[in-house]
Amino acid sequence: MFCFDTSETKYHKVLERCVVLAKKNLKLPITVVTNLDTFKKIKPLGFINYKFIDPELGNTKSGKEWNNVDRHMAYELSPYDTTLVMDIDYFCFSDNLLQYMDTGYDFLISKNAHDLTNRNSFDLRRWSMIDMVWATVFVFRKGRKAKQVFDMIKYVKSYYSYFLDLYRIRDRRFRNDYAFAMALEQANGFISYDTLPINLPTLPPDCKVVKIDDNGIAWQYKDQINFIQNQDVHVLNKEMADV
Amino acid sequence: MDIHELKKQSDLSYDIAVAKRNALEKAHSRLVVVYNEHIFRADPETINLVKTLSEVHTSPLYVLDSNKNPVEIPDPSEFLQVLVQRNQEAISSYHQMSKTFEKRND
Repeated sequence: MFCFDTSETKYHKVLERCVVLAKKNLKLPITVVTNLDTFKKIKPLGFINYKFIDPELGNTKSGKEWNNVDRHMAYELSPYDTTLVMDIDYFCFSDNLLQYMDTGYDFLISKNAHDLTNRNSFDLRRWSMIDMVWATVFVFRKGRKAKQVFDMIKYVKSYYSYFLDLYRIRDRRFRNDYAFAMALEQANGFISYDTLPINLPTLPPDCKVVKIDDNGIAWQYKDQINFIQNQDVHVLNKEMADV
Repeated sequence: MDIHELKKQSDLSYDIAVAKRNALEKAHSRLVVVYNEHIFRADPETINLVKTLSEVHTSPLYVLDSNKNPVEIPDPSEFLQVLVQRNQEAISSYHQMSKTFEKRND
């Protein structure tokens, strides 16, 4: 997991919830990549590993600081043979992801998301020549193939503007989703690559999280309140840190 | 029935429709099973294929995983058991959820 507080968002609070759920449901050793300023604010979370880096700055989302550029370093930073990389706003209310640690695949990532508000809002995301992926959750096994993928991600990142033009991607911000999609396309001979056959359950940013506990999450969209239990969820509204 | 009652009913129907769709998606996620280092869906198609092949073909079986990669299945009956178990776990959970939707509609 990667976690860096910004001046606007207390990501360490999101991390705290994420770690508790991951420990309970996945029971895997956890490594958090962070910086010293963020680390000092994280409450004691039991036995987890920390790796300290200085995040690469400069990226923004909706005018706010967005420290998301370091995901390409996951290969070097991971102390594990097989690694599940997860956004800290992905909450594991089930053990579904655990089984993907036991596959023979070198690199697995999902192409699809399920909008929990039933609006299919992520279907509109394909404003490019290639399928996008969700770098929210991915699994890799250290070896030649995974190293090639990460080397390609680094290459795409170095020439990001060029690759955005090449694949006619409208969004000009650096996004891991796009960088990973372009790198996988390049590294796999422009044909196809292996994926996780799951739709990541995702709560769009216009949903306000009203309650979160050990088993699930409740949210408000307009005047409607809904909830899920024992089902993983990717929460895009970062104000949930204060719930 | 006045308009407020209709609105209330409409909101309830919306809530149930969203919850049902999410419960179905939850079941779909749970249907995915890793066996022999490969990924499969414990759906009717896979179950029927393995059941049929195991009846008319000697072991080992060869099937495609979720990424269309070929896999050797040395013990089809064990594989079938894993698929059926996961399928029923996922669908029975969905069934339980659907009972709660019925109650909300009463």
